[in-house]
Amino acid sequence: MTPWHSRASAAARLSALSVVLWLLSGLAMPAPALQLTAEEERRILRHGPWPPASRPDPSNRVSGTPAAIAFGRTLFFDPRLSVSGTISCATCHQPDRAWADGRTRSRGHRTVERNAPSLFNLRFNRWFGWDGAHDTLWAQNLRPLLDWREMGIGPAGAARLVRSDRQLSCGYRRAFGAAPGEDDDLILVDLAKALAALLETLVTGRTPFDDFRDALARNDAAGQARYPAAAVRGLRLFIGRGNCAVCHFGPAFTNGEFADAGVPHFIEAGRVDPGRHGGIRRLRSSPYTLLGRFNDDPQRSTAAGTRHVRLRESAFGEFRVPGLRNVALTAPYMHAGSLRTLADVVHHYSTIDEERLHAGGERILRRLDLSERERSDLVSFLETLTEQPRRPVVRKPAHVQCR
Amino acid sequence: MALLPPVARAAGAQMPIFDAHIHFSHDAAKRLSAGEAAAILRGAGLKRALVSSSGDAGTRALHAAAPDLVLPSLRPYRRRGEISSWVDDGSVVDFLEDRLARFRWVAVGEFHLFAGQTDKPVPRRTIELARQHNLLLHAHSDAGAIDGIFAQWPDARVLWAHAGFVGPDTVGPMLGKHAKLWTDLAFRSEHAQDGRVDDDWRGLFSAFPDRVMVGTDTFTPERWHHVAWHADWTREWLDDLPADLAERIAWRNGEAMIRPHLAQLR
Repeated sequence: MTPWHSRASAAARLSALSVVLWLLSGLAMPAPALQLTAEEERRILRHGPWPPASRPDPSNRVSGTPAAIAFGRTLFFDPRLSVSGTISCATCHQPDRAWADGRTRSRGHRTVERNAPSLFNLRFNRWFGWDGAHDTLWAQNLRPLLDWREMGIGPAGAARLVRSDRQLSCGYRRAFGAAPGEDDDLILVDLAKALAALLETLVTGRTPFDDFRDALARNDAAGQARYPAAAVRGLRLFIGRGNCAVCHFGPAFTNGEFADAGVPHFIEAGRVDPGRHGGIRRLRSSPYTLLGRFNDDPQRSTAAGTRHVRLRESAFGEFRVPGLRNVALTAPYMHAGSLRTLADVVHHYSTIDEERLHAGGERILRRLDLSERERSDLVSFLETLTEQPRRPVVRKPAHVQCR
Repeated sequence: MALLPPVARAAGAQMPIFDAHIHFSHDAAKRLSAGEAAAILRGAGLKRALVSSSGDAGTRALHAAAPDLVLPSLRPYRRRGEISSWVDDGSVVDFLEDRLARFRWVAVGEFHLFAGQTDKPVPRRTIELARQHNLLLHAHSDAGAIDGIFAQWPDARVLWAHAGFVGPDTVGPMLGKHAKLWTDLAFRSEHAQDGRVDDDWRGLFSAFPDRVMVGTDTFTPERWHHVAWHADWTREWLDDLPADLAERIAWRNGEAMIRPHLAQLR
C-alpha cells in the first residue's frame, strides 16, 4: 500500500469517527468526508508547497539587493517616468487592486489592447507579458517605458531624468554602485532592472488551499477537514474532469506557457491581436533579451529557452496561462479583460466553443456543460487561492533624502 | 506543367500562391463582406484559393465576388459545431444533395473523418456523391481514413488536409501508396523555421515534388487577418528550395490537382 493509500484510508477512518462523534454530540456536522482517491491526492500535492524556493535572477545584477528594491519602489510610483509626467507604473498596477487596475483594457496615455495583469508571483515566470514577448522581468518592464501609449519616456528621456534629478541619481548610484553613465539604453535597462528587483518581492502569501494541501501532505485529517466542502468539490473538478490543471499546473497554478482558450482576439474591427505568435516574433527581434548585451550573466545560464523558441502556426491566438494565486482579486479576466467575474470564466470554459479550437492535436479543452452547483464549486475553490491574511500593501515611499 | 508559364524569382517578384485551405464560415462572414474577404486574398498575392465554409453561404458569396480566384468546395457542415457529429447525421446527405443540385463545385470538404468512420453511411454516401460529380475530396483525416476513402473509391482524388498532422516518415509512404493523394501544409510549421526548410521535409518535397501545397486555414474569423502574413512566411521558406520545386509547392501543384475538376464549374 502506498503512503497515498494510507492517507486516504486515514481520512476515511477519521470521517467515520466524525460522524459517530457528531451523532453523539448533536453538534453541527463538520466538513464532509474528503474521500479523495490516491491519484487525486497526488495531483493536489503537485500544487505546492508554497512558496517555492527562488533565487536571484542571474541576468539582473541587482536582483534581490535591498538598494535596488528600494530604488525600484521609488521608480514604480514616479509619474516622471512617463513622457507626459502623469503616468506611473502604479497607474495600471495599483497596489490596493492586487497590482492590476480593474479595467478591461488598461489605459496609460491611451487605451491599449490588453488587460493589465496583476504583478504577483512574476518571479516564477519563464516568459513575460500576455504574449511572452519578453524573456525576463526587466525586459517586460521596458515595454511600458518604450510605448508612448503607456508611459513612453524612452531611453533618452529616462537617462536625462535620472542624470538630472538628484534623488534619482542617488538612488541609481546606490543600486548600481556607480553614477549613471553616458549610455542611455543602459540607463533605461537599469531602471527596468531596479523595477524588476521590486517586483520580485511581490510573492503571494499562504492560502486556505495551501493549508489544506499541506495537511494532506502530512496526513493531518483534522487540518484537511477545515477546508470548505464546496472548495474540495471544485478542486476535484479542477484536477479531474475539468482538465484545468493541465495548464494551470504546479504551485503557481500555471505551466508558464501559452494556450488558445477559445477567447476571441479581435482588438477592433479589422485588427487582431496575434497573441503568442506576435510575441515570439517580437522576442526574436528585440535587443533586450537574454541573448543580448544587457544580460548581466556572462554564462547566459537562463537563455536556452530564448535560443530555442520556435514560431508555430498554432501560436496565433494563444495567450499566457496566468497563475491563479489571488485570482479572485484580479478581475476582469483573460487577455483583454473580456470576462468580468470568476463565474464568467468558469462559464466560458464550461460552454467553450470547441469549433474555435483547431481540431489538430490533443483536445485539452472540451465543453463540460457543468451544472450550476459544479460551476459554483469551482469558483469556491478558486477563491481559496486568495492569500490569508492579505499582505500589507506596498505604498509609495515617503520622501527620504538620498545622499 | 509545361502549359503554365514559369514565374521568375527576380528581385521584387512576388511568388503567387495557391492557398488550398481557406474557410469563410458564417462567423467570419459576419465580420467581413465577401468583397473584403476577396480583397484580403488578392492582397496576399493568392492566385487561387480552395474555399469551403461551415454554412455554405460564405463560399457561395465569396465565389460570386471573386470567381477567378475562388474554387468552391462543399463542406458537409451547415454550421460550426458539426465537425464530429456529421458522420452520424443523415440530414447531412440531404444538405449535400441539395447543394450539389443547385450549385457548381470543384470539391467536397474539408471534412473531418477518421479511421473507423469511413464505412458509416453518411461518409460513404458523401464519397459516392463526390464520385458522381467528379469532385476532389478534401479530408482532414488520419492515415487510416485516407486508406478507407481509397478502398471505397480507388480513383478518388484526395487532398489530405494538414498532411494529416503527421511527419514526413508517415506522409511519404502514404504519398507513395496513393498516386492521387495530395497534401496541404495548413496550420503546420514544423517544416520550416526562419526561412529554412527542415531536412526531413525537404526530402519529402523532393521525393514528391508534385504532391504538396500550402494553405492558411482560416478556421476562426481572426485568422483572415493572418492570411497575408502566412503567404509572406510561405514565400520566405519556399525561397530555400530550388526555384522549380518552390513554384510547384506555391501554386503549380494546386493548379494541376484542380484542373480535372474545373469543368464542373462551367
